[in-house]
Amino acid sequence: MRIAKGAALVAAMLLAGGSVLAGPARAAALAPGDYKVGFVAEITGPIAFAGKSFLAGAQLAADEISANGWMGKGTHISVLVKDSASDAARAIQDIHQFIADRSVIATTCCILSPVANSVKPIVASAGIPLVIHGATLPGLPAPPWVYSMTVLPGPKDVATAVKMAETTKPKSVTYFLAADNDAFKARLGAARAALEKMGVKTAGVVSVLTADTDFTAPATQAMGEHPDAILIYTTQAPAVGIIAALRQRGYTGTIVGNDVLSPASVFKKLGPAVVGIPFPIGFSSDLATTPEAKAFVAGYKAKFGNDPDIYSAQGYEAIWFIAQGLRAAGGKPTRATLAKTLAAQHEVTHNVYGGEPITGGQIDTAGTTIVAWSADGKLVPWTGAK
Amino acid sequence: MSLFVEQLINGCALGSLYALFAIGFGLVFATLGILNAAHGTYASWAAIAALAAVQRLGLPFPLAVLVGVAAGGALGVAVDQIAFQPLRRRGAGMLGALITSIAAWIVLDNLAGVATGQDSLSFPTDSYPGGMLHVGGIAFSTMQLITIIAMLAATLGMHLLVRHSRFGAAMRAVGWKEQAAAIVGVDPRRVVLATAFLAGAASGLAGVLGGISTANVSYSLGEGLMLKGFAAVVVGGYDDVRGAALAGVALGILEVMSAQYVSTSLRDGITYALLLGFLLLRPRGLFGGTSFVRA
Repeated sequence: MRIAKGAALVAAMLLAGGSVLAGPARAAALAPGDYKVGFVAEITGPIAFAGKSFLAGAQLAADEISANGWMGKGTHISVLVKDSASDAARAIQDIHQFIADRSVIATTCCILSPVANSVKPIVASAGIPLVIHGATLPGLPAPPWVYSMTVLPGPKDVATAVKMAETTKPKSVTYFLAADNDAFKARLGAARAALEKMGVKTAGVVSVLTADTDFTAPATQAMGEHPDAILIYTTQAPAVGIIAALRQRGYTGTIVGNDVLSPASVFKKLGPAVVGIPFPIGFSSDLATTPEAKAFVAGYKAKFGNDPDIYSAQGYEAIWFIAQGLRAAGGKPTRATLAKTLAAQHEVTHNVYGGEPITGGQIDTAGTTIVAWSADGKLVPWTGAK
Repeated sequence: MSLFVEQLINGCALGSLYALFAIGFGLVFATLGILNAAHGTYASWAAIAALAAVQRLGLPFPLAVLVGVAAGGALGVAVDQIAFQPLRRRGAGMLGALITSIAAWIVLDNLAGVATGQDSLSFPTDSYPGGMLHVGGIAFSTMQLITIIAMLAATLGMHLLVRHSRFGAAMRAVGWKEQAAAIVGVDPRRVVLATAFLAGAASGLAGVLGGISTANVSYSLGEGLMLKGFAAVVVGGYDDVRGAALAGVALGILEVMSAQYVSTSLRDGITYALLLGFLLLRPRGLFGGTSFVRA
């Protein structure tokens, strides 16, 4: 077993190393040394379930990049971790400590958009690159200092809602909204506009709060509107609670989720209640097809013993993007020269999405993959069949 | 109309959790004079213990609930003896106990996060009565019914114990003045231990039932109950479990109805504004109340 794990890790590292040849041209080799990235993690607190995945992906990327000298001979990249517990004040404190540590060349942070928004002006004024690995609010990236490795979910949500409407032909829909989250407000607004344009009536919007734990009453409220479909635009914990409450109360209409339903822990927790619910996804180990994605899955499984999820992929990409910048900068880069080089990148060359262009500091992926959990706990393409 | 009734039941069930929590919270405050910020963690740990009993020992629902309740009680005693007893011995005031309880809260919360892998876990759906009941076109879940019945039974039992038993008289005596109670033959240490256990057990019951109903077993479970439970105690009156229970249920109903008929965003604001208004009219709570000066 250990040999198999080791072989998978070596294979993943070799494949990662193979992309040296495919990487961008650079003027001078990067000076040997250890390049430190300050990682503001969220491994405790309300969204630690996701935070652990982001960090694991980042650590795998650092291992792969360092093991085969991807950035240049004698070069390593390492991840320094400070936990913010998703608290903006603690994240700011962590960032200040990384800024003060002159050996830290770049930083990566934030799952929650408000936290990312708090940190953004600090890194810009201090002059240190920040790669946001999880926050989804549009407008966060601001090159040359701030970049986002999270695919904007809005367009994917709209595509999913439209596909659902085309497939199941609902007359009216009810929306669940995390009322205290601006990013989800924007996502709901875009999906609602698209559906109303198709003639789908809005039966109602049921607001919940991110910290809520009891969803019996909101589920009763939504079902009281008798919608043909229910679309959920909330963070993971409320989404899980809402689905459980709707199913328990016997709602049999279509439910549409969002990317927060993709981690395996959601299926483990909800089981049959989440089967068949469509949601868009940027990465899934079950649907990995490119050599980079397959190597990522194999390497992750070898290192951590389980499959990576979308969050691990984003953490992984954040470190690869910084490594790409360092490699392209060459010589002895400073924070400022790294920032300048990152701003000149038009894609993340080593990626698990089958293409990852960058525009204005924001990554994107082509198309929208709509999936659903199958009864045996696999992510499968959603066909619309119940 | 059926929507209104269903939401009323939802509010009662939610409020029953607040009430169960408030009963224990109020008991500690009335008898031991401690505003225990760690009380919420008893609920979290009770739910974790009950879940472990189901998953690791394969215990059925009633036994798992008992395990959770016992775990809540045991934790209540442990925290009291480790965090509060040394202060009590030195005659420290309420502020010292409050600060100590905040430290206990943070430590136990962190440990709960570690125990659950920083994840929100849930009871397997076949481990508890999860079906829906339909009565005259009104739907409610079996767990909601169980929660309401548990709250009524706990309130009645606790009321009879505190108000109509010798031990309850001893509790009230210790709550009034420990030294005086000791002079008339009450063993204050025994009363303190029993009170800490009962309070932890009540919080534990709220935690187990809440963990099942909300499919959320994590450190955040107790945090969610803490503020509402405290509000219920303040409104209901510190020294009467009936008041705390009634206020807890009212709080749940207010919360659900505000969200249904006014606004979710303003839900907590409306609820607490109404509570504030009530306290202006009845500052000692529903059933009177006593002012406390010791810890």
